[in-house]
Amino acid sequence: MDIGLTTDLKGFLWDVGVIVFKIAVVLAAVMGHVAYATYFERKIIARMQMRLGPMIVGPYGILQPIADGIKSFFKEDIIPTNSDKPIFFMAPVFGLMAALTTLAVIPFYDGFVISNINIGLLFIFAMSSLGAYGIILAGWASNSKYPFLGALRSSAQVISYEVALGLSLVGVMLMAGSLNLTDIVHAQHEYPGGLYIVPQFIGFFVFVISAIAETNRTPFDLPEAETELVGGFFTEYSGMRFALFFMAEYTGMIIMSSLAVLCFLGGWMLPAFVLKLLPFLAVVPGVVWFLLKLYACIFFYYWIRATIPRYRYDQLMAIGWKVLIPLALVNIVITALMKLWLTSGRT
Amino acid sequence: MNTTDEQTDKYVKVVGRKESGFLASLIKRVFFTEILQGMKLTLTTAFKKPVTKQYPKEKTEARAGFRGMHALVRDSATGKAKCVGCGLCAAVCPSKCINIYTSEGPNHEKVVDRYEIELLRCLYCSFCVEACPFGAVVMTEHYEYSDYSKGSFFMTIPTLLDNWDKYMEGRRGAFYLDNFWRPKTTDFATPTEQAVFRPKGTNESTPPATSPAPSGDTAGEVAGESREKGE
Repeated sequence: MDIGLTTDLKGFLWDVGVIVFKIAVVLAAVMGHVAYATYFERKIIARMQMRLGPMIVGPYGILQPIADGIKSFFKEDIIPTNSDKPIFFMAPVFGLMAALTTLAVIPFYDGFVISNINIGLLFIFAMSSLGAYGIILAGWASNSKYPFLGALRSSAQVISYEVALGLSLVGVMLMAGSLNLTDIVHAQHEYPGGLYIVPQFIGFFVFVISAIAETNRTPFDLPEAETELVGGFFTEYSGMRFALFFMAEYTGMIIMSSLAVLCFLGGWMLPAFVLKLLPFLAVVPGVVWFLLKLYACIFFYYWIRATIPRYRYDQLMAIGWKVLIPLALVNIVITALMKLWLTSGRT
Repeated sequence: MNTTDEQTDKYVKVVGRKESGFLASLIKRVFFTEILQGMKLTLTTAFKKPVTKQYPKEKTEARAGFRGMHALVRDSATGKAKCVGCGLCAAVCPSKCINIYTSEGPNHEKVVDRYEIELLRCLYCSFCVEACPFGAVVMTEHYEYSDYSKGSFFMTIPTLLDNWDKYMEGRRGAFYLDNFWRPKTTDFATPTEQAVFRPKGTNESTPPATSPAPSGDTAGEVAGESREKGE
């Protein structure tokens, strides 16, 4: 009895240790990626505008994110007198927490996922909606007109595009028959087409646009429209709290990109027919493919940002409600009918 | 109705807005052709050479005819400034930043005691250079002279002569003398490229007194042409 309990305890502690280790690895990797996402964003957009981007700190400015981090860490933390202080302190933490929690369900390669839960996709939707609270609370607590306007815009935008984002992935859920992200990747591997982007191209299109809107990136960056709202919801923030908002935004970008990779681009696996054609590619570990696809998606974010100017607010709403949601609904109906038609003969 | 008909007769539509057909506009809407064109442009631009010059590290050479810091030409015969103290430059100066003090020398000649330029008031119009009949005050290509004190922007005869020695001595100065400064005592002719009234038949005015271009690197260069070198 005594011995059994200790072995149970040992096993429990071992599990906890493994999970903590995984969390540490994922957090470190994602934070590193977030830091260098800012660097590469500046570099890529600079090159697209025939500029050089950061060049001073280190060779080719490679140490710029570290310098930025140190700078924002030691900067004065200004708190407006009229702000609602507890909420003002909480808001950036809340935004970042929502973004980082989502990482728990994302499988980076086969088996490497902090918690392999069956409602993975739902969890991500829930958390990314919660992330909007950080923005709304920040705008409210700042007690200033620009952050408040930014927060209002953000809440309306996130609510509108949350619907389209969710509906765009329903097609994938139907095809895979699961909400578990690992299962979705495996189902994709068994699917003869290889990638869900092929049959779900409408879903992918809707997903990409609503993911950009969901993460408040250009051309849908109305909550922080610099030309109209100074800085949007984080106008009153400074120092590390400001940096927390930035980390939340870039983490959200990484999460949306990895969601696109997992649900549409085959996750950490290559399509079966590619592997049959070029069998030596199987040697490459899955995480490499995952990261390559992720980087391509993030590059697309930057590319879009360098190309397209910001939409007007009514255009944003019109795209969301009049184009994306009907498209996603049509996609769901077509996918469901096709699945019914294809599986009906076999049962 | 009648007026509009008349107007359509009267005015010829030169640039018409081309209405695309239903199918064309549908393709445009569905496939975002315009956004795709824009994305192609940004992607191709990303592989072009950036235009940024990293200033303190790589410096752009001043173009020929540049109007930088002033200098007083040192007369190679006497080793002193060529300036005779006529005061034309001070008279023409729009911001009145040139001060000249003269006195009578032992042999009843005019002696320039002080020649001062307040650089912080100067607007670099180069009128003083044009006004000078002897080509005694000139502008160099030197433009990086920021300082922490105002005193260093107050130029006197020794500092102005130093500028000549440092920046315009030799071939560079000769090139500028022939092509840009052209003092009236040596060159009366109206430049051929200048738009002035010329009587019929005298189409060819006296060509500017250009001595053969003094050096290899400045040969054949005219005003406005870039001179990028040293890179």
